[in-house]
Amino acid sequence: MTPQTFFRRKQRLMLLTLSGLLVSYAVASIALGFQQGALLQVQTGFLWMAQNFLPTAATFKLLPAVLFQLWRAFIIATAAAGVAGLLSLLLAVIGAKNLGQRHVTVSFLIRGFASVLRNIPIIAWALILLFSFKQNELTGFLALWFMNLGFLTRAFLETIEDFDTGKLEALIATGTSRPVAIMQGLLPEIATPTVEWLLYMIENNVRDATLVGLLTGTGIGFLFDLYFKSINYPAAGLVVAVLIVLVISLELLSTHIQRSLT
Amino acid sequence: MLTVTALSKRYTPDKPSLEAVDLQADVGTITAVIGPSGAGKTTLLRSLNQLLKDDEGQVCLDDVDLRQLSKRDLQKARRNIGMIFQNYNLIDALTVLENVLHGCLGAKSTLAGMFAHYTAEEKQEALKLIDEMGLSDFAYTACKHLSGGQKQRVGIARALMQHPKMMLCDEPIASLDPKSAQMVMTILRRLADDKGLIVVVNLHQVDIATEFADHIVALNHGRKVFDGVPADLQAAQIQAIYA
Amino acid sequence: MIESVSMSQTPTQKAPRPVNRRTRTLRAFVTGLAVISIYGLISVLPKHFDLWTATKVFGANLQLMFFSPNVGNDSHLLLMQALFASIELAFVTTVLGAGIGLVCGLAAAENIAPRWLSLTTKSVMAFVRAIPTILWVLIYSVALGLGPNAAVVGLTFHSVAYLAKVFANTIEEIPAQTIEALRAGGCGLLPVLCQAVLPSLASRLLSWTFIRFEINFANAVVVGAAAGAGGIGYQLFVASNFYFNFHEVGMIVYYILAFVFVLEAISTKLRHKFID
Repeated sequence: MTPQTFFRRKQRLMLLTLSGLLVSYAVASIALGFQQGALLQVQTGFLWMAQNFLPTAATFKLLPAVLFQLWRAFIIATAAAGVAGLLSLLLAVIGAKNLGQRHVTVSFLIRGFASVLRNIPIIAWALILLFSFKQNELTGFLALWFMNLGFLTRAFLETIEDFDTGKLEALIATGTSRPVAIMQGLLPEIATPTVEWLLYMIENNVRDATLVGLLTGTGIGFLFDLYFKSINYPAAGLVVAVLIVLVISLELLSTHIQRSLT
Repeated sequence: MLTVTALSKRYTPDKPSLEAVDLQADVGTITAVIGPSGAGKTTLLRSLNQLLKDDEGQVCLDDVDLRQLSKRDLQKARRNIGMIFQNYNLIDALTVLENVLHGCLGAKSTLAGMFAHYTAEEKQEALKLIDEMGLSDFAYTACKHLSGGQKQRVGIARALMQHPKMMLCDEPIASLDPKSAQMVMTILRRLADDKGLIVVVNLHQVDIATEFADHIVALNHGRKVFDGVPADLQAAQIQAIYA
Repeated sequence: MIESVSMSQTPTQKAPRPVNRRTRTLRAFVTGLAVISIYGLISVLPKHFDLWTATKVFGANLQLMFFSPNVGNDSHLLLMQALFASIELAFVTTVLGAGIGLVCGLAAAENIAPRWLSLTTKSVMAFVRAIPTILWVLIYSVALGLGPNAAVVGLTFHSVAYLAKVFANTIEEIPAQTIEALRAGGCGLLPVLCQAVLPSLASRLLSWTFIRFEINFANAVVVGAAAGAGGIGYQLFVASNFYFNFHEVGMIVYYILAFVFVLEAISTKLRHKFID
């Protein structure tokens, strides 16, 4: 192969991939009925927000109610991640292939269970739970919890399977029992990624809590929906504003925590 | 005293990793196990504290056959056997002190072990061992910040925390620079001389083995091909072992 | 003989163990999480609520869903079309997100962009990310009118913000010397980007894009249900909220799972190859 043919081939491959992507994009856009021009109207959204979402004096009367729901959303988001996290860690320790789980089926079942839980859309959880648990916070909590259980089990399994079991063996060689070796050897080593996953989950839960609330008619999502549909845009803007504050503070907090852990 | 009789181990039915190996190691001596990679050195060492099971033969430490013990009794017996590794196997996220204290986890109840409840005496002793290893400035440093030689000394301190009768060393200096290697071997020599431990060490450097060991065992293809004092090990034999 | 190794030295007395920053942070985090979890668990339970009956009903519904799925009032063809509509939505928003996200990611990377640009871009992206996807879609349904345009623009917003962040993180991992060396050779910014930065990162950027495709598919389902934007999510919403047909809900969930499992298998392969 001469350099010319090499570069020509490379260029041709590049061109083919790009045009393939472009054609698929065009086909998908047409099938969807998406007009590319809409992309040029992005600023209308921001303008619209700036015009309509600015809270007025009247909306500040709603602030206590909004803040209360924000507080509940935070508590539910964190509790769902916390409760699911504990159980996930247990499942992951049982299911991890490198910690002496001799039954391949147990590993496989835990992995499959986690995968199904996490891939059922959260709205499906919310809609199904709505029937049996009715319109209340518990429904939202459980929807988040099921999804978190699947997601975190999977994440912890991967974290644990990256762990070098020689370290565990070194502790077992001192005459330690396996549970103690796992507590003293495994947990300190996986603490940092575990905390990172939990923080990510909490942050994500706050956003998802809004969505679940929208569907199940509870919490901060319901409040937004109520104000938005009754064209009380300044109040809806207030909800968005406090959500932004919460999510960004969580993001800052989690950067701070991650920095102290390294 | 450690007495190994007719120890065999097979991973695959036709190719044995250890074939009827006999071995004796006395209190206060260093026994070096040498041989090419894949000769069965690690398999032998890991059978000595039964990290590897399903073998045949006898492994007697002070007339107790470790192979006959129940799971509980084996756990107890392992407290008498310290072990250090080529890649140290420390918990990198924890401090030197915590890693050394891990050596006394085996002597605790499960509950106390789970919550890492150490007595003041144990902490004092751990600090003393850290001091003896020349690491007193690093007691509260996380192990991930240490050099290889320092990590291996932490490993030794952790093993000593068990008050072992025997010390198993699996290629302890294979990842170390020459100066740290000398230091670690010197420490092991002292453990045999001053504390009267049985030291069994896997090595691939014959010169280090002849310099520090009292007794050399050579393995090849799972069989013992040499057993004697360093002075008896001739150049021709070394060539045969590594052939 | 090495001096520091002396076995007979008397132990120096040490102060009680200082708790380091890591341990303190870990303890605070675990305690905080535990307290909030317990409080949350207690406070989330409604008063006078028959938990047992609810759980039983829930179990029975799950059984209906998973063990006797059927297409209900719709047809397989319709569900297939709906699934494809969601996939198309995810695809279009991922392509847009990756393209715009790459530009924003370069603008946000501290080792390439000037400091003011990097800081501004990062703040704007953090702001966009903080608003849930569904709210963006709802906002644009009012600003642009309900329909696919609002759905695409709303979903693209979040994709851009997400990808800009992970792309910037990836680009920031390039050693500063590599860029300096090329610039010192008299190379302009654009050639440096095209010849050095992008080729060496292409595989990792692509894996992140693929991960975002998975997220976008989930989001496309969500948007269909919560904003009435069509697709399989809308079918799910109608089946459960209007027809109360658990058999159909089960069938739709199976459709979604089937597609997601294919994606997951591909992304696991990609991740092992490129990210770890």
